[in-house]
Formats: sequence, C-alpha cells, structure tokens
Amino acid sequence: MNLMALEAATTGNAFTELLGGIAPEGTPTWALWLGAAGAGVGILVAFVSLVAMFSVWLERKVSAHIQCRYGPMYAGGWHGWAQTLADGVKLLLKEDMIPLGADKPLFMLAPALVLGAIFGALVALPLAPGFFFADVNMGLFLILAFSSLTTIGVVMAGWASNSKWSLYGAMREAAQVVAYEVPLGVSLFVPLMVAGTFSLTEASAAQSGWFGMHWFIFQNPFMLPAFIIFFIAALAETKRAPFDLPEAESELVAGFMTEYSGIRWSFFFMEEYAAMFLMSAVGAVFFFGGYHSPLTALFPEEATTGLLYQLVCAGTLIFKSFVGVFVMMWLRWTLPRLRIDQVMSMGYKYLTPLALVCVLGAAIWETIFA
Amino acid sequence: MKDFDEIYQRLEAIKAPGLLSADRPREGDPEDKTDKGRAGEAFVLIEPAAAKEFLIAVRDDAELAFDILADLTATDPDTEDENFWLNLHLLSLGHGHRLAIKAMVPKADPVVPSMVDAHMAAHFHERECAEMFGITFEGNPDPRNILLPDDWEGHPLRKDYEFPKEYHGISCE
Amino acid sequence: MTEINTPPEPPEAKTIEIPEKARTLPSGEREFMLDVSTSDLEVNMGPQHPATHGVMRILIRTDGEVVTGGQVHLGYLHRCAEKIGENVEWLQYLPYTDRYDYLSAMNNNLGYSLAVEAVMGVEIPRRATLLRTICAELNRIGSHLIAFGTYGLDIGAFTPFFYCFREREWMMALFEKICGARLTYSYIRIGGVFNDAPVGWLKEVERFCDVFEEKWQEYYDLLVVNHIFVQRTAKIGVITPEMAVDYGLTGPMLRGSGIDFDLRRDMPYMAYDEISKAGVYDVPLGRGEKGELGDCWDRVYVRVQEMMESIKIIRWCLGCIEDGPVIGDIPKVLKVPPGEAYVGIENPRGELGHYVASDGGKVAKRCRVRGPSFCNVAVLEKLLPGTFLADSVAIIGSTDVVIGETDR
Repeated sequence: MNLMALEAATTGNAFTELLGGIAPEGTPTWALWLGAAGAGVGILVAFVSLVAMFSVWLERKVSAHIQCRYGPMYAGGWHGWAQTLADGVKLLLKEDMIPLGADKPLFMLAPALVLGAIFGALVALPLAPGFFFADVNMGLFLILAFSSLTTIGVVMAGWASNSKWSLYGAMREAAQVVAYEVPLGVSLFVPLMVAGTFSLTEASAAQSGWFGMHWFIFQNPFMLPAFIIFFIAALAETKRAPFDLPEAESELVAGFMTEYSGIRWSFFFMEEYAAMFLMSAVGAVFFFGGYHSPLTALFPEEATTGLLYQLVCAGTLIFKSFVGVFVMMWLRWTLPRLRIDQVMSMGYKYLTPLALVCVLGAAIWETIFA
Repeated sequence: MKDFDEIYQRLEAIKAPGLLSADRPREGDPEDKTDKGRAGEAFVLIEPAAAKEFLIAVRDDAELAFDILADLTATDPDTEDENFWLNLHLLSLGHGHRLAIKAMVPKADPVVPSMVDAHMAAHFHERECAEMFGITFEGNPDPRNILLPDDWEGHPLRKDYEFPKEYHGISCE
Repeated sequence: MTEINTPPEPPEAKTIEIPEKARTLPSGEREFMLDVSTSDLEVNMGPQHPATHGVMRILIRTDGEVVTGGQVHLGYLHRCAEKIGENVEWLQYLPYTDRYDYLSAMNNNLGYSLAVEAVMGVEIPRRATLLRTICAELNRIGSHLIAFGTYGLDIGAFTPFFYCFREREWMMALFEKICGARLTYSYIRIGGVFNDAPVGWLKEVERFCDVFEEKWQEYYDLLVVNHIFVQRTAKIGVITPEMAVDYGLTGPMLRGSGIDFDLRRDMPYMAYDEISKAGVYDVPLGRGEKGELGDCWDRVYVRVQEMMESIKIIRWCLGCIEDGPVIGDIPKVLKVPPGEAYVGIENPRGELGHYVASDGGKVAKRCRVRGPSFCNVAVLEKLLPGTFLADSVAIIGSTDVVIGETDR
C-alpha cells in the first residue's frame, strides 16, 4: 500500500485528528491513517445513502404535490418518511436476476462502478471548513472526472444487458454526456477565474463575508449566464428531465436499466440522486457561496472554530444543495422530454458557444475591474 | 346530401361497373306468414369481381364522391346458403351521404380482387375478412393474418366453424 | 395508389466498400474503423411497451435512432366480439360493446343501440335522447382526457396526465351515480336508457362543466402550447388530407388533417341535427398552426378543442331537457325483424360503425363492429419510416389507439 498517498489524502482531515485523540499511545501512524480512511469511507457511504434516500422521499413528495396527490403517507407515520427505507429493504430481498445471454461480469460490475464513481466524486466536497473527506487541490477536476466515470458504468450496463432497449439507452447516454461535458466544464471556468483555485475548500472559504455579498454569483455579470449553462448541463449530465433520454421510459422502456432489478437497480437509482446532490453542491460552492450564508455571517470571528459553526455551515451547504435538487425535481415534473437531435443541437450549437462567450467576457471583466 | 333513390339513379346513369340491382326495405305480406318483409337500410347489389372498379367509379364521380371506405366485411348468412355476402359501406365527406353495397361471393370459390387500389383503407379490413371467412383478396399487398395467430386453422366467423379443442397444448374446453 | 411497407426482410450485413489503399494507414497500421459493417436493428416495440397503450406490437427496423420501417401486429387482445354477437341475444350483447373501446363505453352502447333500433324502427323518448347525448359527450371528454394525458406521458410530461385523471375521476363518479358502473356502463340500452338520472344529477353535470372550463385552460397552457411540446410534435407524423381520405381515417385524425367533417353535424343522428342547426358548437380543425397541416400537434389540438365543444353541447342539452319517460316500449326478450343496417356514429376516435343483420330471431345473424382505431392504426406503417425513434412514439400516441377496439 502506498502509505504516502494515504497520508496525503488524510492529512489535516478531521478523522485523523479525532482518531489521534482517542487511539491508545503508541499506535503506529499507518494504523491511524487506515482507521481514518476506513471511517471516512464508512461515513461517506452512510452520507450518500442518507442523501439518496432523503432525495427519493423528497422526489415522491414533490412530484405528488405537483400532481395533486399526497405521495407516501403511511410508512413510518409522519408523511411516509420511512417509505424509502421500506423500499430499500424490499429491493435488498428481491431475487437477484441476471438475464440469459447477458455479459455477467460486466452486468454485475456496472452498478458498482456507477455508485463507486459517485462516492469518489463526493470525497472532494467540503461540507464545512473542517468537514471534508479530502482537501484535494484539484477538487473540481476530481469531481468532473469521477462523475464522467458514471457514464462508463451506464454504457457498460447497456451493453451487458443484452437488450436492444438498454443499448439504445447506453448510446444516448454516451452521446449526451460527451455533448454536455464541454459546456459543463467551460461554464465552471467563469467562477474558477474569480476563485483562482480548483479546490472546493478554498473556493468556499473565499466567499465568506457579510450577508452573501461575496458570493461568486455577484462578482461579475457573466456569472448568472454561466450558472444557467452550468445548471442545464448538469441536468443533462445527471440524466434528469427534460434530458432523461437514456432512460426515457415511454420510449426505451427504462433505457439502460431495463434489465436491472432489485439491489442492482437501486444502485443506479442511488447514483442518480447522489449525482443530483453533487451537481447542486458544486453549483452552490462555485456560485452561491458554498457553506456561507447570512446565518454563518452572524458568528463572531472567534466562534468560527467551534463545532456549532461547523454544523451550521454543513447545514447551509446541504440546504443549498437540496434547493438545487428541488428545482431539478420541479423541472422534471413540469417539462416534456426533448428529442435526441434537439438535445445534441442544444449542447453543441448553443450551450458550448455561449459558455465560451461567458468565459471570454468574464476574463475581460476580471482583467479590467479586478 | 342525397337519399338512396337519387344515388341509385346516378349509379345507373354513370353505368357503374358491376351494378346489379337495388334492395330496399319492404313491408311483409300480412296474408303470408312466412314473408316477414325486410327492415333496415337499402343497399345495392354488385358483382364481386367488379368491386374494385365500382369503388373507383363512385369515388371519382363528382356527384357521388364516395371518398371514404367506411367498412368492408363479410357475412355468412346461413350454413345452407351458397354465398357469402361481401358488405361494403361507403361514405362521402363532401356530400355527407352513405351507400351500403352487397356482393354475393360463392362459398365454393371465395375469391375477390383486392380493393386496396381504390381505397387504402381496405387493406386491414381485407386481411381481417380473409382470416375470418376464408375469402381470398387477390392482390392484397400483405395477406397475412391480422387478428388471429399465423397458424390458426379454420375461419371463425363462418357459421359452420368448429371451435378447436386445443391450441398448442392449451385446452379450450 | 399508395405503396405498402413490405414486411421487414432479415437484416443484411452492409459492408462499406472502401478502396484497399484506404484500409492501411501511412504508418502501416490497419485503419480500424473502416471495416465496420452496419446493419439495421429490428426491435419489437410491444406487446409490452409503455408507448403502445396496450398490447399492440410494432416491429420496427432502426438504423441508429432513425426508424426505417414499421410493421403493425395486432390481435393480442382479440376477444371474438363479433362471434359472440352471433351467439347471444340482442340485449345480452350490450355489455360486450362496453369492452371494445373501454375508454368510451357510452359511445359504444349508443352505436350498437342505434344500429339495432335502425332495424327495429323504434321511437326514442325525448328525455332518453338528451340523456344519451349528455352521456356520450361526457364520455367523449373523458376519452379525450385520457388521449391527451397519455400523449403527454409519451412525450415525457407526467403531470398533465394526473390532472386529466383528476377530471376524469369526476366524470366517472357522475356515471357511477347514473348507472352504477365506472368504466363499462351498459347504460344506453336498445330503446332508450337504462334508468332516469338521479335527483340532482343534472345540476352536478352543470357544475362539472363550470369547473372543467377553468381546468381546461390549465391543460392548454401547461402542455399544448409548451415550447418543448410544440417542438416535439409539430411537423412530425404529417398526414396529408389525401392520405387521410385514402386510409379511411375518421374523427380527430381526419379533422387534424384539415378536413371539415363531423358525423354529428354532417350526418346527424339523435338530437345532433337540432344542436348543429342551433349553432351550438363548432368543429375544430387542424390548421397547421405550429408546423405542417396534419402533424401530431394538430391532432392533439383538435382533441383538446373538442373537449370544450362537448361542454357546449352538454350545456345545450341541460338547458332543454324535460321530464318524461326514458325508455321506449321494448319487450324483455327482443325479437328484431329480418333486415340489416349499418349505423356509424362519431366516437371520440372516429366513426364507430355497427353493421347488424337479423333474420327475425332472438340472436343476430351478423354483428360487425367497425372500430375507428382499427382503421386509424393502419396509417402507422406509412408514417413511421424516416422518423426518429422518439418521434415514432409521438406518432403512435397521436393516433390514440385503443387496443381493445383494434382487436375487438
């Protein structure tokens, strides 16, 4: 095991410090590092699962209220809060089916890859000044790279299923992600120019200050168009309506997920919601002040190291992310689906050039005024 | 909008191909118990072999302009009867009148030329009619079964049709 | 006159002809991509597929996302309705009519009853005629709500579907009050209707009309003029007027192509003569407003507008309905005099024709149903080639087929 890499990844991490405090004297450093890494992974998995489960419940309630329904009302008592939990148990107990003629190893690997990639991407997300799994100085690159990796999992799933509908879904996903990766990345250059760093921790920290006035979205006039482009591209990246072509249920049955069932299917489902959360969080970090809010601005300077401040910060970022997730759900239950050629032409013909114009404009603005 | 008599006069005037006679509803004879008369609508009788030409003629005539083939079907009147009836129902969009047509197709040799050239609408109806009665429509571009499975035996809407005891191991009793 | 899609041949491998020179790169490597051979992919859309609205199977051939051919396979829901008609008594057949177009059972009852009445020549009481009209038009609204809602679903918009079901629920509750059934009514009987409307029913229908008019605007704003919806449906699946006539299309499919023909107005039955002469309602037509004449958007537009016209007809009937008997003098065991008649009525999907032939007995000699969906679905084979896979779903949805009726 490359201990240097492990040390680099866990240095300055809350877990390492915490474990250092409780571990008995004389515990070797590598054991501390390993313990910290293990705890980090455990917390990450728990966090992603919680986010996904809450998002699924939220989606059900949001869609239900948009459609004049109640949604889940019974499981768990209060507004069916335990419905997703019950579904999860059901999915775990379902028969594990692999269709005849499917490419078995790939079929089994695909959901794991998809979910693993989204875990990897969430590593670089700082929830609060001291709450992060790893302070990666190329954090944004890491996130974009990992979230693109999910595409490979989806293509893998589509190919391995040995179903024509799945293959269509996979091909659509590949084409769509290639088309929208460019505007997604380019539109993020605009806040990057203001932040001057790829690290999400530093970008968040740079936006502190009184009542949100230092949020990047207010820094120059090209931020808002850049954010809109980012949001649209993020919708396409996370396969959300109106860009849900890879799984377009009225056309492709369920797209790449057609042959999946049980827990493997729920992995794709969790990935979708975790990716929504991740994209919203990235948007919040690079446009809307990260974990800063008017509430956190009320804390006096000396209180910012306390646990309460950290919790408020984490709550702020999670809240902002779920606002983004809510908007994504709202759009999904309002808009019809685009057609594949419309999706392509929107990505290549409009969003990419517009994103480039934003970058150019922002660069000129920053040179003159900043 | 024309009534049946006007339509029939016009049919005679344009010498519609295959036109035989008109059959109108009539009162039964009160003296004769066996003659109950005939109720319902009036129709024209045509030669089945000339059905396609007849349809084209009434479609293209400006005064009749029967441009929609509303229905094409057949009837097996009785087990003893020697003929199937071929029932056609035409509709004119411009004039808003209808025409019921009947042709006698002999059960011994149930072959009729396809009417797809006159009305594309005939296509699916002919396929259904062919599988249900065993009438062959010569020239239908896709004469497969449409509602029944491809390997179904017999023609269910014939009066002498015997229900199969089983189908591919599925008992039907 | 019109060419037919030939049944798909087994796909042949097409190898792209590349000169030998181009296959080797200057570096001496073989060019990898050039000897790829492509072939069309044959996909079974259905019998279990969300877009086919039932158990229709469409065998489509695709080249990537482009559909190169389609073939319709019917018969998965064949229930021998016509053969049953020859084996049960006249009145006993009525519940079977509910089952072929289960979304507009009232209209089916009406069509069958009118056909039998045409042979029998019975007089229908005035109140029965108006109750029939109200029920048929209410059912038309319900059927169009489903057509419109599921079409939104096909395009990917979920929410209008639920809104449509909300109103349809009320419509079904109204029918439940008048006949006890929610889907298969058997309310309109030979000679009139089954029983009189309960006290206060007509008032409630009026309230339904008031509320529906408000809600209708919601559908219109939410989906019909939605930019993405227009982009997805305009200029897609264009049926020219000539083609519509040739294929014998009727109902909204025909009017979507701009042909001004409505059986209720042009070949009136029941009270529609009076209603049309009073100028109560208009016949909405496709005008190619958003794209080309006869595209999917036009057909949807016609259906949506027709709902409002039905409301006007219902209001007119409510205005002039009076007390009186609701069923004529019909014996328990019906004997229909020898004869035959074909009666076509305006179903929500087009002309629903019933051809009944009697030899004077207790059962029919022939009981033929001309389902509008059966005729309308034939045009798919012509429309599908050359469209995108997603468009093919939009086209299938815009024909508004009910498989119970194509297969009967």
